[in-house]
Amino acid sequence: MSSRDAMLAKIRRNRPEGPALPDIHAVPFVTFDDKFAAFAGLIRNLGGEAVMLAEGQTVAEVVARRWPNPGRVVDLTLMQHAEAFTPHDWQDVDIAIVPGDLAVAENAAVWISHPDNIFRSLYFLTEKLVMVVPRDKLVDTMRDAYGQIAIREHGFGAFIAGSSRTADIEQSLVMGAHGAMAALVIFC
Amino acid sequence: MKPENLYHPDAAREFLADGARARWHDQAIWFVRQKRDAQAQQLPEWEELRKLAEQIKAHTLSRLDEYLVQFEENARHNGVTVHFAADAAEHNRIVHQLLAARQVKKLVKSKSMLTEECGLNPYLEERGIEVIDTDLGERIVQLRHEPPSHIVMPAIHLKKEQISELFHAELGTEAGNNDPTYLTHAARANLRQHFLTADAGLTGVNFAVAETGGVVVCTNEGNADLGTALPPLHIASMGIEKIIPRLEHLGVFTRLLARSAIGSPVTTYTSHFHRARPGGEMHIVVVDNGRSDILGNPDFYASLRCIRCGACMNTCPVYRRSSGHSYSYIIPGPIGSTLGPSRDIRKHGSMAFACTTCGSCSNVCPVKINLHEQLILQRKRAFDAGTLKPAKKMGLLAMRFLTRHPALLDTAGKAMRKVVPILPAFVKDGTAWSRPGRELPEMPEHSFKELYRRRQEDKQ
Repeated sequence: MSSRDAMLAKIRRNRPEGPALPDIHAVPFVTFDDKFAAFAGLIRNLGGEAVMLAEGQTVAEVVARRWPNPGRVVDLTLMQHAEAFTPHDWQDVDIAIVPGDLAVAENAAVWISHPDNIFRSLYFLTEKLVMVVPRDKLVDTMRDAYGQIAIREHGFGAFIAGSSRTADIEQSLVMGAHGAMAALVIFC
Repeated sequence: MKPENLYHPDAAREFLADGARARWHDQAIWFVRQKRDAQAQQLPEWEELRKLAEQIKAHTLSRLDEYLVQFEENARHNGVTVHFAADAAEHNRIVHQLLAARQVKKLVKSKSMLTEECGLNPYLEERGIEVIDTDLGERIVQLRHEPPSHIVMPAIHLKKEQISELFHAELGTEAGNNDPTYLTHAARANLRQHFLTADAGLTGVNFAVAETGGVVVCTNEGNADLGTALPPLHIASMGIEKIIPRLEHLGVFTRLLARSAIGSPVTTYTSHFHRARPGGEMHIVVVDNGRSDILGNPDFYASLRCIRCGACMNTCPVYRRSSGHSYSYIIPGPIGSTLGPSRDIRKHGSMAFACTTCGSCSNVCPVKINLHEQLILQRKRAFDAGTLKPAKKMGLLAMRFLTRHPALLDTAGKAMRKVVPILPAFVKDGTAWSRPGRELPEMPEHSFKELYRRRQEDKQ
């Protein structure tokens, strides 16, 4: 017998009794009167910042004001598809501007997933990550978020909350472990 | 790897010899526990979430074989290859074969307690493959050639001065520069070169979703993401218990994990891997390695609900004062003290006794594992298996005899209250209670029973 079949047979033999699956929607979860305020307040502690785009203002303007000397910028909100890039080509990107499908008020996470997965390494190689989210796509909790995302479609997707960070040296919080050193979420 | 025959009381005594460091360790970890509490208090549904998580995991374990088959089918449908490994040796063999077939010279790993459990690093290194642990804490302990001391904060037992010295020797950082930001960014620069030149990436798995055939990996550093988005080969190693039935269940577990683990509302990166990066391939190795035996044990199978958040360690008064390196199993603290003895009671018998049965671990566990109750049962197994040292065994037997003979217990208590105060110091200093900070308590004049009786009389 293969390891697979032997393992499954043993699990079947040993498996205990268990309850039925609970209905996770039967429980009321927290809601926020002002989802943007909750999101913006949280992300400050997570090495990020959130702004609401003003009338007539563009994403490019907000980014330029924050980082006047940007270096290499890749803007996926403009780019439709990549031309023969390798994942390593993004290693010197300073600012990546990427579309976010939705944002979560309870933890300041943004769902990132792109139809063209050649961009996958960009989210993590860039020095600064700008996530652009439609303002009506702010949900309360992760339960609501998972209700809205189509996970298998693109093969990869991530919730990203703020900047890369670590506290592995004496519990001192340091921004910029491996991924982006700064995160900016723009609601448009 | 942990040293053979590690005995918790001896190893803990060694850790406590440096009183200042032990106190710092205790406080640093208690701080994480407090952050966890603050997060829990912000969600009115916290207890409901724990209940949901417990029920989902308990249900999954009752049909684990079915969910594993469903997971395998869906992963294959996504173009991912699923392997099954009965034990650590088979897991290591499968990983090595995948790497060898593609001439992999360098593997970047994100933190995985499972690969620690399997001893993957030395196995691959013996076969000429360079293995780079990329989680900062994990990298620190790898460079020091020691096991992690905590499952979420692998280097929490070290002071920044020690890390500064290590990085000076290994990475060429400035001597005497102890600034955590400086040290972290030096490691970042060094590890980025490894990410860019690696031939394969290996990750652990936090959750595997049967319904979609994908795996979820949670990190704050983004190392799992760089390690899988850059190299062409992604291998994910997971224990059979990581399965959850549906995508929507992530809406329960991702809310509990980081809050319980580090007191943060979520990890920076909660990444969902369903296919390899373009031009690459993805493999998942599903590992049993003793888990199905635990599944068949009614006393201990609830330990398989564990989502490896480490909250039980952060709250444990013994773990905080003895550090992870004093536990013989690779997973320390309360959860390790039931998982280790379940695996090998002879080797890990002393772990279950490193517990005050205060129950704090059970109270914070996000999947409501009855940890302190399991530890009492593991003690019984350790006793029955004859793993106790003679003095401890005799003490327990004497106690059992006394508690079964109440009159004798009363007499013995009375004798002790009279005799201990007049004992010369050198006799008292020889007891287990007389180490620094652990003085023999003052003997009360009356026993609890006497006080109680008198109070009852006074009431009348």
